[in-house]
Amino acid sequence: MFTGVYNFIYFLISLTVSHSQITRLYSRFTSLDKGENGTLCREDFQRIPELAINPLGDRIINTFFPEGEDQVNFRGFMRTLAHFRPIDDHEKNKDPNVSEPLNSRNNKLLFAFRLYDLDKDDKISRDELLQVLRMMVGVNISDDQLGSIADRTIQEADQDGDSCISFTEFIKVNFYTSP
Amino acid sequence: MENTLHHVVLLLSVFFWFIWCVQHQIIAKETEHAKRVSHLSEKHCSIEEMRHFGSSVASYFIFLRWMYGMNLVLFGFTFGLVVIPELLMGLPYGSIPRKTVPRAEQAKAMDFSTLWDFDGYCKYSVLFYGYYNNQRTIGLLKFRLPLAYLMVGIGTFGYSLMVVIRTMASNANESGGDGEDSDFNFSWKMFTSWDYLIGNSETADNKFASITTSFKESIVDEEENQKDENIHLRRFLRVLANVLILCCLGGSGYLIYFVVKRSQDFATRDDLGWYEKNEVEIVMSLLGLVCPPLFESIAELEEYHPRIALKWQLGRIFALFLGNLYTFLFALFDEVNQKLAVEESIKNATTWATHMHYANFTGNTSATPPPIDPADEFVKLTVSDIQVTYITILVGDFLRAVIVRFLNYCWCWDLESGFPSYAEFDISGNVLGLVFNQGVIWMGAFYAPGLVGINVLRLLTSMYYQSWAVMSSNVPHERIFKASRSSNFYMGLLLLILFLSLLPVVYTIMTLPPSFDCGPFSGKSKMFDIILETIELDFPAFVGNIFSYVANPGLIIPAVLLMVLAIYYLNAVSKAYENSNLELKKKMQMQRDEEKNRRNNQDSTNSIMKDLEDLLPIKSGGGKSTAPANKANTNKNDPPQTAKGAGKQGEVSRNGSRVNPEKEMLLAAQNPRIAVTRPPGPRPPGPLPGNPQLTVPGQRGRGQPQRVTSSNQDPLFLTPEGKVASRNWFCDHLCLRLFRAGLPPDNYSGHSFRIGAATSDAFRNIAPHIIKAMGRWNSGAYELYIRKNIFDLLSMQKKTLCD
Repeated sequence: MFTGVYNFIYFLISLTVSHSQITRLYSRFTSLDKGENGTLCREDFQRIPELAINPLGDRIINTFFPEGEDQVNFRGFMRTLAHFRPIDDHEKNKDPNVSEPLNSRNNKLLFAFRLYDLDKDDKISRDELLQVLRMMVGVNISDDQLGSIADRTIQEADQDGDSCISFTEFIKVNFYTSP
Repeated sequence: MENTLHHVVLLLSVFFWFIWCVQHQIIAKETEHAKRVSHLSEKHCSIEEMRHFGSSVASYFIFLRWMYGMNLVLFGFTFGLVVIPELLMGLPYGSIPRKTVPRAEQAKAMDFSTLWDFDGYCKYSVLFYGYYNNQRTIGLLKFRLPLAYLMVGIGTFGYSLMVVIRTMASNANESGGDGEDSDFNFSWKMFTSWDYLIGNSETADNKFASITTSFKESIVDEEENQKDENIHLRRFLRVLANVLILCCLGGSGYLIYFVVKRSQDFATRDDLGWYEKNEVEIVMSLLGLVCPPLFESIAELEEYHPRIALKWQLGRIFALFLGNLYTFLFALFDEVNQKLAVEESIKNATTWATHMHYANFTGNTSATPPPIDPADEFVKLTVSDIQVTYITILVGDFLRAVIVRFLNYCWCWDLESGFPSYAEFDISGNVLGLVFNQGVIWMGAFYAPGLVGINVLRLLTSMYYQSWAVMSSNVPHERIFKASRSSNFYMGLLLLILFLSLLPVVYTIMTLPPSFDCGPFSGKSKMFDIILETIELDFPAFVGNIFSYVANPGLIIPAVLLMVLAIYYLNAVSKAYENSNLELKKKMQMQRDEEKNRRNNQDSTNSIMKDLEDLLPIKSGGGKSTAPANKANTNKNDPPQTAKGAGKQGEVSRNGSRVNPEKEMLLAAQNPRIAVTRPPGPRPPGPLPGNPQLTVPGQRGRGQPQRVTSSNQDPLFLTPEGKVASRNWFCDHLCLRLFRAGLPPDNYSGHSFRIGAATSDAFRNIAPHIIKAMGRWNSGAYELYIRKNIFDLLSMQKKTLCD
C-alpha cells in the first residue's frame, strides 16, 4: 500500500497539477459518477451538455477510456484532463529524467490529432476529413462542395504528397495558432 | 411652466447617468464572458446570433455598441461639466433676456409643434449655446463656466481622436499578428472553428450556421480568384460607371445648395407650410436614401470582386454624404455672415437701450436675436435623420416582410423568392449613416450641448430596434463576404470624418467673433480670448510669460518641422519592417515549394530507378572497394543502433570511431567534418555516402548514373522522404513507433538513447572519462545519465555484508 501511494504521488507530480485543482477535479468526478462505484462510464460523460452538443463529443469521450474498456477511474480521468492545462514554458525542466509533461504543446496536438484519426493509422485521410466536415456542417453544404473543401484542406497541409495529413503536417498547420 | 422644462431635463440627465452605470456593468461583463452567449438584456438580441447572418452584420453591431460607449463618455463630460453647473449654479430661467422666451413668442412657446421644431422653450434652454451666461465665474465654487465650455468643446474632439486611434492601433496589432495570407485557410476552418464552450442547443445551432457561412465565404473567395477577364470592355465599363456617379454627386450637391438658398428666402416670409419649413432636412434625407441604391445598380457594370465592390460602394456613399454636408455648411456660413452684419447694426442700436432689458421687451423683441442658426439646423437635421431612418426600417424592412409573408398565400407568383422578397441587411448604408451621424454630432456639439444627449438616446434605441428588425425581417446575404479583414476600415472612415468635422468648429473658434449677447463668450472678440483671460487673471505671472514665449513663432515652426520629420522617419521604419516581413514570407513559401518540387522530382526518379533495376541484370562483385563501401553504408543506415544521439551531423565522428579502421579511411575522405587523423586514401569508385540515394540500400555497386545534386556537405541521416532527419522528426517518429509497439511513449524521449548508452557503458565498467568523451559531455552531467541498477547495488551490498 505504501508503494501504491508512492506511485500515485509520482504520477501526480508527473501531471504537474496543483492540490486545489485535484480537489476540484475530484468533486467534479464524484458529481458525474451517478452509480457511485468510483468509475465513470460513457453515459456519465454524455450527461455533460457541452460534450453532448459537440460534434466531436463522442470521440472526445472515447479518449478518456483506455483501449477496449468501458470504465475510467479517477487516475485515468485526471490523466486525460491533464492535457488541457495551459502550457507553462517558464517551468522548463532541465532534468532529463522527466519526460515531456502531458500538457506540452506536442502532446496537446497529439491528443487533437487522435480525435480526427479514427482508424489510428497516424494519418488523417480524405474520408476522415469528410466525416468531420459532415458532422460540423451537416446538410447545409452539398456533398461535392464538401469533397472539394476536403481536397483543398489536404492540398494546403500535405507536404509529402500522400494525400493524407500526417502528424508532422498537422503540427505545421497549427504552428501559428496560439497555444 | 418654465421651470418644469428644467426639471424634465434634470430628470433626464439623472436617468442617463443611471443607464450609463448599468450599461457599463453589462459591457464589462460581456468582455469577460466573451465566448459565452452574451445578452444586451434581451435574449434574441445577442450579437452571437448576429454571426449567423455573416460576420459583417455582427461587426456592424459591434461597431454600433462601441460608438454608443464613446458617445456615453462624451455625454458624461458635457453634462457633468457644462450643463449641470449652469443649471445648478447659473442664473435661473427668466433672469436675463438670453434666457427668456420673448413675450411675442410666449403664447406659442409650449405648443408641441414648436417644441418639436426646437423652438419655443427648447430654444431658450440648456440644449443650446445661447442659453449660457458669459459670467466668468458662477456660484460658490467659482466655477469658470465659459472656460469649461471651451475646454469641453476641444476636449470632445481630443478624446474622440484618442479613442479612435487607440482602437485602430489595437486592431492593427491583431490583424497583423496572424497575417494576411493564410496558407492554411481551409485547414484552420476545419480544425479550429468549433467553440468548445457552447453548452446551449440554440447557440450550437447558430454556431453550425456560422461555420457553414464561413465555409461558403471561403468557397466564394476561391471561385472569385479563378475568374478570367476581358480587360478592355471591363475598363471601359468602369470608366463609364465612374462618370455617371460623378454626375450624380454633382447633381446632389447642387440640389442641396439650391434648397438651402431657398430656405433663406422662406425665412423672410411667414406663411410657410410644413414642407417649406423642413425642406432642407427632407431633401438631405431623401438624397441619402435614394442615391446609394442608385450607386449600387450602376456598380453592377463594373463587376468587381464583392469585397472590392463593397469598398467602392462605401467610398462613393462617403463622397455623397461629405459633399452634401459641406455644401450644407457653406450655405449656412453664408447665412451666418449675413446675420453677423445684421447683428452689428443691432448692437449699435441696443447699446443705449440695455438699461431697459429687465422691464419691457415689447420694443426690443428684435434686439434679442436667436442663437446662431447652425446649432438649430444641426439639431433639426439630426432629429429628422433619426425619424427618417426609423421610418425606413419600419416600412422598408418590417412592413415588407409582413406583406411578403401574408400576401404570399393569395398572390400569383412566389413573393418570397421573386420580386419583393425579404430585405437584406444593408451594411454599407447603415455603417455610413452611423459614421455621418457621428460627424454631424461632432460638428454641432459645440453649439448645442444637448445634441450629444439626443445622440446617446438615439444610439441606445437603435441598438435594440435594428437588431429586432434584422432578426425578424431580414435574411442573410446570398453572396457572403466580409467587408474587410480588419475592422480598421470603419475606424478609418470615422477618423476621416472626425478631422473633417473638426475643421469648421476650429475655424469658428479661431476666426468668427461670437454673438455679442448670446452664449458664454459674448462680449469677447474671439472665443479663445477666454483662455488668455484666464491665464492673465488666474495664474501667477510667470505662467503668462511662459505661454507668451511658447507661442512665439520662432519656437513653433521648428517644433512643427520636428514633428513632420519624426512622422517621416517612423513611416520609413514601418515600411522597412513591412518589406522585411514580406521577404520572410516569400522565403518561407519558396522553401516550401522547393521541397515539394524536390520531392516530386525524387519520387519520379525513384520510380525510374526501380524500372532500371528491373531491366538491368544484377552486377555482382563490382570490385572489392564496393563491398566494404556497402557495409559501411549499411552500417550508417541504422541510426537507432548507434548508441548515442540522433540526427546530429557531428555524430559522424562518433560513428567513425566504431567502424573498422579500414573503413575509417573511407569516411575520412568523404566527410571533411572530422579531424583527419590519417592521410586520406584513394577514393572508392562508388558514389558518395552523403548521397540522398542512401535510402535505397544494397544498390551501391551498380554504377548508377550520378543524377543527384548532393555533395559532401549533405547530412548523413535522412528521413524516408529524403529530408534531413531533425531531432523533432526523430522524436515524433520514436513516439509513434513506441505507441504502435504498445509501449508508453511518454516514458521515452531522445535522451533515452544517451541514458541507455551511458548506463550500459557504466555497467561494462568503462572508465568515466571515456564515457564522458564518447557522449561529448563537457561537464559532469554525464553522471546523471547513468542509471543506478538496483540489482548491482543489492549484490554489492550483499558482498559487503558477507565479508
